[in-house]
Amino acid sequence: MKCSRRQFIVAGAGAVLATGSGCGQLRDVTADARRWWGKPAAPPLAENLSPPAAAELDAVSHAINRLTFGARPGDYQRVATMGVSAFIEQQLAPQTITDAMCERLIRHEFDSLADPESRLFPRQGDATDPLQQLFPAMKDRGARVSDLYEYKDKVLLDELTRATLLRAVVSERQLFEVMVQFWTDHFNVDPSKAECKWLKAGDDRDVIRAHALGNFRSLLRASAVSPAMLWYLDGRVNRVTRSGEKPNENYARELLELHTLGVHGGYTQLDVMEVARCLSGWTVRDRKKFFKGRVEFNARQHDDGAKRVLGQDVPAGLGARDLDRVLEILMAHPGTARHIAWKLCRRFIADEPPESAVRDTAAAFTATQGDIPGTLRALFATPAFADPAVRGRKFKRPFHFVVSALRGTNAETDASRPLVDYLVRLGHAPFRYATPDGYPEAASHWQSKLLWRWNFSTALAANRIKGTQIAADELVRRVGGPAAFMATLLGRQPTAEERAAYHESGAGVALIVASPAFQYS
Amino acid sequence: MPAQALITGHGDARRTLIVVFLRGAADGLALVPPLEDEHYHRARPRLGIAKRDAVRLDDRFGLHPKLQPLERAWREGELAIVHACGIEDETRSHFEAQDLMEHGGVVAGGWLGRYLRTRPAAASGALTCVAVGKALPECLLGAPAVTVMQNFDDFVIGGRTPAFQTQLERLYAMQRGQLGEAARDTFDALVRIEAMRTTVYQPEHGATYGRDEFSTGLSQLARLIKAGVGLEAASIDLPGWDSHFAQQGQVETLAARLATGLEAFRRDLGARMTTTTVVVMTEFGRTVEENSAFGTDHGRGSAMFVLGGGVQGGRIHGAWRGLSPDVLERRGVLEGYGDLPVLNNYRNVLAPILARQGATTEGLRTVFPGYALEPFSLYG
Repeated sequence: MKCSRRQFIVAGAGAVLATGSGCGQLRDVTADARRWWGKPAAPPLAENLSPPAAAELDAVSHAINRLTFGARPGDYQRVATMGVSAFIEQQLAPQTITDAMCERLIRHEFDSLADPESRLFPRQGDATDPLQQLFPAMKDRGARVSDLYEYKDKVLLDELTRATLLRAVVSERQLFEVMVQFWTDHFNVDPSKAECKWLKAGDDRDVIRAHALGNFRSLLRASAVSPAMLWYLDGRVNRVTRSGEKPNENYARELLELHTLGVHGGYTQLDVMEVARCLSGWTVRDRKKFFKGRVEFNARQHDDGAKRVLGQDVPAGLGARDLDRVLEILMAHPGTARHIAWKLCRRFIADEPPESAVRDTAAAFTATQGDIPGTLRALFATPAFADPAVRGRKFKRPFHFVVSALRGTNAETDASRPLVDYLVRLGHAPFRYATPDGYPEAASHWQSKLLWRWNFSTALAANRIKGTQIAADELVRRVGGPAAFMATLLGRQPTAEERAAYHESGAGVALIVASPAFQYS
Repeated sequence: MPAQALITGHGDARRTLIVVFLRGAADGLALVPPLEDEHYHRARPRLGIAKRDAVRLDDRFGLHPKLQPLERAWREGELAIVHACGIEDETRSHFEAQDLMEHGGVVAGGWLGRYLRTRPAAASGALTCVAVGKALPECLLGAPAVTVMQNFDDFVIGGRTPAFQTQLERLYAMQRGQLGEAARDTFDALVRIEAMRTTVYQPEHGATYGRDEFSTGLSQLARLIKAGVGLEAASIDLPGWDSHFAQQGQVETLAARLATGLEAFRRDLGARMTTTTVVVMTEFGRTVEENSAFGTDHGRGSAMFVLGGGVQGGRIHGAWRGLSPDVLERRGVLEGYGDLPVLNNYRNVLAPILARQGATTEGLRTVFPGYALEPFSLYG
């Protein structure tokens, strides 16, 4: 492993802080040191690890289930103490959450990419980060898009996948990570298409993560001019060089059908064509050119005539500003609010969300002009979200299942190939979905693949996944015995059948992770 | 078996497609030599397959002597060949050409993965799609679920403790709806795999597999098909075809492995071959002219093989124009021979096979977007 100046500094700062906090058992000290070195280590366990005492999922467990990728030991008490609404508010404002451990880990694991000179993965502003205190200039220095081409594409995809998985497991900004996944599906770009193999890493940084809990309008615009998206949906070859030439309508169609209005959102084929005309001329320089990866508007390839989109005029002569006019029309259209609200409700409430919840959420989207936290706040306040009947009824997609198992068992992981392979087998590895609709959400797509969930459960419990480790016996003891451990994972007290199965299986930890109840959130 | 019918949607009647990729660019002119073409023997004075050594197929072509095990399938009409086959792009990079071919063009995901996505979600189970080997091949990118498998030990759950499975089964027995059904189907599949894992396999009908990885992989696929676990698509590689140097021994070894494995698989499956198709492909062919090192270099067209599944075999399908200089594809201004041109696009071979598997016309447009298909009539 190469040892950079940066790591030396991190180590030095870590040593000072570790000494300051130094107390407790020997193992904790080692773990602290590992954490400060940035090596994979499970976050420290809280003082109070009491699990939920109720027989059914309560509002606290429900909020944790839906806003995060699964409860860690101690999460229940923490959220119960602060209150559900305070927890929701905190998660809606990720910038207020200190996430030093996650950031340190990401930087350690992805040394080449995380170097200050060429960072692919953005760091949230973190005032307590000793590095940033020493070097304020490091705060906002992201890599340029063209830097991406210097990496081997397989390395980039591999690191992006691992970083995504690691963040989902260890980040305190759980709702942010959940929304990153949501928008990654919504604005799906498959790196296996042409230059997306390099550019998707930039899309993740500059589009998805930059706006995941920001404003939808900004997110949409960033996506529209994202180099990766221009490749993926052929926007880069959408050109009109002579009158009457047919533009490439691939992106225009998905912009209406998937990104904004939805398939029944009230647009016509003519609207698709008109939007394609509006967006003609936007392109991205390919890798054989100077300034590769740079997005440009080529006025000579733009159809600058008058257009009509969804009954609204786009006057002639706007040039590049056609794009903003189109987005303005789309943002003002009630179909967009409804479509986004419906997708959010489906993710956070139920596969078939009740109409009232969609309506309330859409109203908030419109009222806040696409403010994502504002929209989510309204969603979490709907009676449907609070309805006990929806609790524990969302079938976890494989990524959610795997990450929730890692979180619930306080696993240490480097998110390397052996772990990712399980997601591949489950058909849900990040950034490997070919078509623009993104991984499906509904349970029916995922329920027939139980075999690899069970295989994963037994491998995890037996520490047979290289790079991933759990200390199950110690954890069971710390949380207060098998029943308490089961309650920690399930968010409620185990049933008599679950208790019996746990004890009689001879592999209780694996059994509870593989059990029907743990497949739901 | 009602539970099985649920996991597969078709039960044991499911059609299976096996994709064999010959990585490294297999020399189609060595595997299926145009025996009567004077230009062939002139371009390959030392490496050309002599008429007396080849297995004669028709009045134009023969088979490489080491492909002799395939002769029976040819005579019985179960083996079809398309020559001068490949991609439209002129890249001669292995990596780029494999990607283009496996993706089905400049497009996201793999052609087989996209095809499987067009299938109903409920028809997809734990063993719908298997990639034999260590990694997921590009053609399966985007598939709803793929099991990458080296051997059956990958399927042991519960650390070999029967109590674990019993208790898990008890908890899932209380589940209703799709999850309960999926669980029952999965337990059923596990029982079948466990039976395979713990017994020594006896191939049927006197089939004899080789001892190499390719044959072993094919025999495992044969067992999965026979066990009716719902296998719909599988991929398996036979690498090592990049024969720039002293190619004779290299090609002989690989051709023998290919033919031995395929013929054993065909014999072993017996009547099940009517619902099982094997397609053999490679990224591009090799130069018509042999080089000074007794090898051949990167070329363009090569051969594809289609075995079983009701294909109209005993025939060379598609266009062929011979190897006369005016037919060959020139690279730049270089003198000498050119390359066997791609007269038959690989998609037009895959499309009718997928249609046979159940792909709709609309589905095929999803599988091969932006390409005007002209499928060969492989099925008469």
